[in-house]
Amino acid sequence: MKAAVIDVRGLVKDYGRTRALAGLDLEVLPGEVYGFIGPNGAGKSTTIRVLMDLLRPDAGEVTVFGQAPQEGGPALRSRIGYLPGELALTGRVTAGEHLHHLASLRGGRGRQRIGQLAERFRLDLGRPIRALSRGNKQKVGVIQAVMHEPDLLVLDEPTSGLDPLLQHEFLELVRELRARGATVLMSSHVLREVESVADRVAVIREGRTVDVDSVDGLRRRAGQRVMLRFAEVPELSSLAALPGVERPRLEGTTFECQLHGEPDALLKAAARHRVIGWVARDRDLEELFMDVYRLGQATGIDAAPGTGAVEAPDAR
Amino acid sequence: MRAEGLTSLRRVWRDHRRAMWIWAAALAVVTVFYLAFWPMMGEEMAAAIEGMPEGLMAAMGYDRIGTAAGYLEAVIYGLLGPVMLLVYGIGLGGRLIAGQEEDGTLELEFAAPVSRLRIYLERLLGSWLLVATLVVATTVAVLVSGPLFDLGVEPLNVLAASLGLLLLVVGFTTLAFALGAAGARRSAAVGAAAGVAVLAYVFRGVANAAGVEVLGALSPFAWMLDPEPLVHGFEPQSLALLAAISVIAAPLGAWAFARRDLMT
Repeated sequence: MKAAVIDVRGLVKDYGRTRALAGLDLEVLPGEVYGFIGPNGAGKSTTIRVLMDLLRPDAGEVTVFGQAPQEGGPALRSRIGYLPGELALTGRVTAGEHLHHLASLRGGRGRQRIGQLAERFRLDLGRPIRALSRGNKQKVGVIQAVMHEPDLLVLDEPTSGLDPLLQHEFLELVRELRARGATVLMSSHVLREVESVADRVAVIREGRTVDVDSVDGLRRRAGQRVMLRFAEVPELSSLAALPGVERPRLEGTTFECQLHGEPDALLKAAARHRVIGWVARDRDLEELFMDVYRLGQATGIDAAPGTGAVEAPDAR
Repeated sequence: MRAEGLTSLRRVWRDHRRAMWIWAAALAVVTVFYLAFWPMMGEEMAAAIEGMPEGLMAAMGYDRIGTAAGYLEAVIYGLLGPVMLLVYGIGLGGRLIAGQEEDGTLELEFAAPVSRLRIYLERLLGSWLLVATLVVATTVAVLVSGPLFDLGVEPLNVLAASLGLLLLVVGFTTLAFALGAAGARRSAAVGAAAGVAVLAYVFRGVANAAGVEVLGALSPFAWMLDPEPLVHGFEPQSLALLAAISVIAAPLGAWAFARRDLMT
C-alpha cells in the first residue's frame, strides 16, 4: 500500500478548556478524493488548520507527505492548495491584484493560470475584493487554491456560497485535479455536496472519527425504507425478527421498517399474507448521517475510529 | 518555491499608503500652521509665561517656550508630533498581525509557503516604513518652516530631534505589533502600547514638575526630549535607549509568534 498523503492518529486539540479534537483519526491515500463530513463545530476546520500548521497539535501524530506540518514548513505548504472555510477578503485591491499577490507569495507559481480560471468561473478580476458577493469571493478562494496545481488540495466547505451551476463546475474541476494525480480532502457538513466526487468519506462528531467508508459502502449501509400494506393485520414478530429488518413498526395493517441487505427474506415472509400495497425507497444518505450525528454508535453503524478501513456493507 | 521578494511588505504598503498620505498631509499642515504663529507669538509668549506657576511650566515643557527651539520642542516634538504619530503607529502596529488575523484576512498568507518569521519581519518593516514616511513629512514641514518663520534652529538639530521622534514612535509601533504577534488581541495590544505611552508621557511631566528623577529615567519621552536635541544635536546614548524599545520588543514578538496557534 502506498504511504498515506495525510496521516492523522489520535489528534487532540484544546482551545483553553474546550476540547475541539478528542483523538481524531484520518488517513487519506494518494490520488483519492476524500470527504470529511461532520456537523458544524465537530472539528473539521480545526483539523484542517492543524494540517496547514496554523494550529499546533496538543497530542497525537500528524503527517502530510510524511512530514509533520510544523517541520515541513514552507516547503511542505508549497505542495498544498488551501481554501479556508470562511474566506475573508477586504480592501481596495481588485480580485486580480489579490490573486497576483497570492501567486507572488508562492514564488509566482500559478500566476499564468489566473486569467483562464477566472474565465472558467466567470469572475470579474477588475472588481475590488471588498465589493464582491459571497459567491464571487468563494470563486477567488477556489482559484487561488488550485491555480498552482498543488499535489494536495485541502478544501474547507468549498461549495458553500457557490450557486448550483458553479458547484457543478467546481466538482468538475476536482475530478480533473484527481485525474492529474492530485489528492483532495474536502470538508462539508452535508454529504450531498461531496458524495458525487468523493471516493471515501470520514464522518466526524465531537472531535472524533465515528465512521469511515466508501460512498458506495455508505449507500449500501443506508439501506431502504420499506412499507408494506396488508389486507389484514399480520403478526409483527414474524416480520420484525427477519434478517436485515430494523426499526419495525406496525400501524393497523401497515408495516414499516428499515431494510439492510437483500430483501428476499422479508418478501417471502410478506408473501404469506395478502399484500395490497408496497413502497421501497433507498434511504437518503443524509438520513444515515443524521443518525450518526445524533446517536453515534446506536444506529447499527459501527463506530470504527482509526481503522480507516472500508467495511463490508453486511459486516454487522 | 520561495515567495518573491518582499511580497508581504509591498502588500502592507499598498493597503495603507492612501491613508498614510492623508496623515502625512495632515501632519505637515498642522506643523506649518503652528510654526507660522512663532513670529507673532515669540515675544508675547515670553511675556505671558512670566506669570505662570513654575511647576506647571516645567511639566508642560514650557519653561523654554520663549525661545524658538523651546517653542518648536513644546509644540511639535513634545506634543503634536508624538501624539498624532503614536495614534497612527500604535493603531497600525496592532492591525498588521493581530487585527488582520482577527478579521481573517491573513489566513491565506499564513497558509502560503512563507515562514512565520518572514511574514513577521516583512510586516514589521512595512509598519516602520509607513511611520518613517510620516516622520519625514513632519521633518520636511519643520525644515521648510524654519526660514519662512524665522525660527533660527539648526537644520542638523532638527534632524536629530526627528530621529529621536522616529525611534520613539517606531518603538511603540513595534510594541503594539509584537504584542499582537505574540497572541494578544488587537484591542489588548493597542491598549497596552497606548497605556505605556501615556504613562511615559505622564512620568516625564511629573519628573520635570516635581523633580522625581527616577520617573524621568523611565520615560521614553524624557529620553527623547531631555537632551534638548534642537539645541545640542545628536545624543547617541538617549537615541540608543529609544532604539532599545524596538530592539527588545521585536525579537520577543517573533519568538512567541513562531510558537503559537494562529486563527483561533
